[in-house]
Amino acid sequence: MNLMKTPLFGSLLALLMMGFAPDAGAQQFMTREGHVHFFSSTPIEDIEADNRQMSGLLDASTGDFVFQVQMRAFHFEKALMEEHFNESYVESETHPKATFQGSIASWENIPNDGMRHDVVAEGEFDIHGVTQPQRIEGTMQWMDGAWNLQANFEVTLADHNIVIPAVVKDNISPVIAIDVEAQLMPR
Amino acid sequence: MTRLTWWLFGLVWIGSSALHAQGLLDELNAVTEEPTLPVRATFKDTRIVNVQSNETPAEGVLHFVIAHRFGTLSSGAYDLWGLDNAQMRMAFDYGLTDGLAVGVARNTYQKTYEANVKARLLRQKTGPEAFPLSVTWYSVAMANGTRVAPEETPYPFTRRLSYVHQAVVARKMSERWSLALVPSFVHRNFVQESGEAHDLALLGVGGRCKLGPRFSVNGEYHHFLTESFGDAFSPSLSLGVDIETGGHVFQLHITNARGMFERSFLAEPAGSWANGDLYFGFNLSRVFTVKS
Repeated sequence: MNLMKTPLFGSLLALLMMGFAPDAGAQQFMTREGHVHFFSSTPIEDIEADNRQMSGLLDASTGDFVFQVQMRAFHFEKALMEEHFNESYVESETHPKATFQGSIASWENIPNDGMRHDVVAEGEFDIHGVTQPQRIEGTMQWMDGAWNLQANFEVTLADHNIVIPAVVKDNISPVIAIDVEAQLMPR
Repeated sequence: MTRLTWWLFGLVWIGSSALHAQGLLDELNAVTEEPTLPVRATFKDTRIVNVQSNETPAEGVLHFVIAHRFGTLSSGAYDLWGLDNAQMRMAFDYGLTDGLAVGVARNTYQKTYEANVKARLLRQKTGPEAFPLSVTWYSVAMANGTRVAPEETPYPFTRRLSYVHQAVVARKMSERWSLALVPSFVHRNFVQESGEAHDLALLGVGGRCKLGPRFSVNGEYHHFLTESFGDAFSPSLSLGVDIETGGHVFQLHITNARGMFERSFLAEPAGSWANGDLYFGFNLSRVFTVKS
């Protein structure tokens, strides 16, 4: 019996190749201190918060990436806002993290030439335990051996079941603007 | 290759690419350490019902409380179940830092003035440097402001003073349940008759059950560890609800204590739950960010 010709052996070989081959030579870039800033603007009040502990991983062989933040690490100007954010709106005890998993479109065409390049990423954004498709526009720039990323997108609170009570409805915008900045270093 | 081989090949390819996307997140989680974060909002307010919680106003925040305590519910319809006999407490607490607050208050009951200091000694934390408990210290000095009869003058000011020192040992057990153990020490400078105790030790237990993002049910009980200040006094037992609306917290409660300052509600609750000698209370707190 010729072993090479049995279908079982062939598929095992394929499994081995597919399981390991794409990762050979993959280069990953990473951050642990990305900056996420969000902004809610209404005629009554502007509310903003910062989180400088965003972690992220980019697979430079595919353009796939993932970013994650701890909700409790967002800092607000007013302590009460921070408490309401965690306790009532994003319920960070039950849903401690927000995650974006996606892929940069046409990643293979983004050169590491030191110039700033516009990029679009499509993926899934999970916040408050509700995952929605999300499109993000931003720029990528290769500088000093790292990928510098800037991006922004908007999140509609209702899409993620984040309910704003009637009494503060005029203080909090139903759509929140989110800015992300990170320097992704080779790992 | 046979058709079967191609099918297997395809299945494996789909499987491995799905694994690959999930793999990136797993890989990230494997290399990022969870940050150590303090546990917040063990209780909604700086008090559970009457007694202090482990919470303090944040740095630069002025916490203003207007508390009302009505007459006994058993006083009946004529006094509108106690509403005709309202007493109040007005309090200002200010957060010097996130862990240290000072406050002053004035009570209708015995025209009592208060000065207090509250400090977080330990904070419950999650993450690599997790810590299971919060411990907050509270000390208050109270001065009775009522006038004395002319024949009792001169009346030394020190006779008016009493003190309470407490440690609030709290733990947020879950998003829903928070518990606190509160050992208290009460000292009064002046007693009416010689032989009466100046000091009292108590062990309190308090807790909350959070039933919604802006609603919780709270309770507390304080057990006398030493002999009470009088036969008429029973241990303090209180039940209440916290309702939060934006910048305000409303607290509604029923308690057997008439006074709203520590010596009074810990050492001298005169009402009996069995007889319905209970007082309805209503607190309204508001925070002002003085310095951001």
